[in-house]
Amino acid sequence: MALSEHDLTAEFERTRGALRSYILRITANRQDAEDITQETWMRAHRSLANFKGESSVKTWLFAIAQNIARDHLRALKRWPENVGDICKEAAMSDPDFFREAMTIHKTSPQARFEIREHIAFCFTCVSRSLPLEQQLALMLKEVYEFTVKEIAEIMQNTEAMVKYWLHTGRSRMVDVFDRRCALINKEGACHQCTELNGIFNPKQNAQEEAVKIQMVRDAAKQDKEHLFDLRMVVMKELDPFTSPAAELQLHHLEFDRQVMEGRPEQV
Amino acid sequence: MTLCLMIGLHSTAQEHKAATAKTTFHRETSVSTSIKADPAIIWALLTNASDYARWNSTITSMDGEIAPGGRIRLRSTLDAKRSFKLKVKEFQPASRLAWGDGKGLRTFTLIPHDNGTVTFTMTERIGGLMFPMYAKYIPSFDASFDAFAADLKKEAEAIANHAQP
Repeated sequence: MALSEHDLTAEFERTRGALRSYILRITANRQDAEDITQETWMRAHRSLANFKGESSVKTWLFAIAQNIARDHLRALKRWPENVGDICKEAAMSDPDFFREAMTIHKTSPQARFEIREHIAFCFTCVSRSLPLEQQLALMLKEVYEFTVKEIAEIMQNTEAMVKYWLHTGRSRMVDVFDRRCALINKEGACHQCTELNGIFNPKQNAQEEAVKIQMVRDAAKQDKEHLFDLRMVVMKELDPFTSPAAELQLHHLEFDRQVMEGRPEQV
Repeated sequence: MTLCLMIGLHSTAQEHKAATAKTTFHRETSVSTSIKADPAIIWALLTNASDYARWNSTITSMDGEIAPGGRIRLRSTLDAKRSFKLKVKEFQPASRLAWGDGKGLRTFTLIPHDNGTVTFTMTERIGGLMFPMYAKYIPSFDASFDAFAADLKKEAEAIANHAQP
């Protein structure tokens, strides 16, 4: 099935938001997300004649984008699962972090602090601790709702391997959040989202805010798989570029990325 | 005359509970099981070092890279106090893997069948000229081998059978 330039443009416009948010969530790099999205368009346009209609245009575009991103990501170290602790410590010793964050919070229309936004930000960071293929497959399935067959096409591998990555990646993330996240386990080590809520929204009761989120309300049921599914619902509901907290969360994400991957040298 | 004792050998077509054969200078333990899963899934489980402790009840931790020439360090329930430093000696994707040190070699083989099953076999041969001096200090591997094979079968089949759209 041939794809016209008009159809490609229309499909790209429909897919662009999801594509850009996916790239941001796997690279944790706003500039890379913009650049790779743009590069995806150019490559798709150049190879329009190669599109055979064997997959959907959306799957084809994600495959192109992922090829570009994967080469870049393979050169980077994976992050540890306690990335939140490491970056919190770095933020506490960096006076610029809270000064910048407060300025954004006060001046940007997209800088409300909400706990559910931080849940999505937190998953983006912690998922970088998975082996790369597990992280990519998990995001594609659980957040962007591709089928196993489509993920195999995007990742240019077998459905069997995709099932392996999904199973192991999901098991690992369920375990990590069960051990770490105080929202779903009272013994959890990390309270960062409620602590930050206290800083940005000092007049709010963090616990009252937290229970507005279904994952927190259902935590008492202690079904870890169900709680992970609810975490993924939060991810699906939020676009990290257009949400009400986007500017604030993008600032936090860039800070974490610089802590984990090294800050650019001062010119 | 060889001193050869076969202990507790039970077999069906592709299922062999762990059995140990002993000679003066060597000991060899082997187990086989039939797994209904794609060989790629079984291979991925066998070659992802950091994931072993999640699904395998006989291994408490494993670090390193299971790749050609790679080095790994593992701790097992057989001897919780000891860390084994091993080198990957054979690596034929989805077919054959071996790791070991100067005293022993553990080999894993996968044989796929037309009915969608795979025969998994794990064998460990330990020994050498000094073996008679320390043989009595090495515990039996049989129960651990049975558990390893059962865990692998359970995990691989769970992944293969998981209903994913």
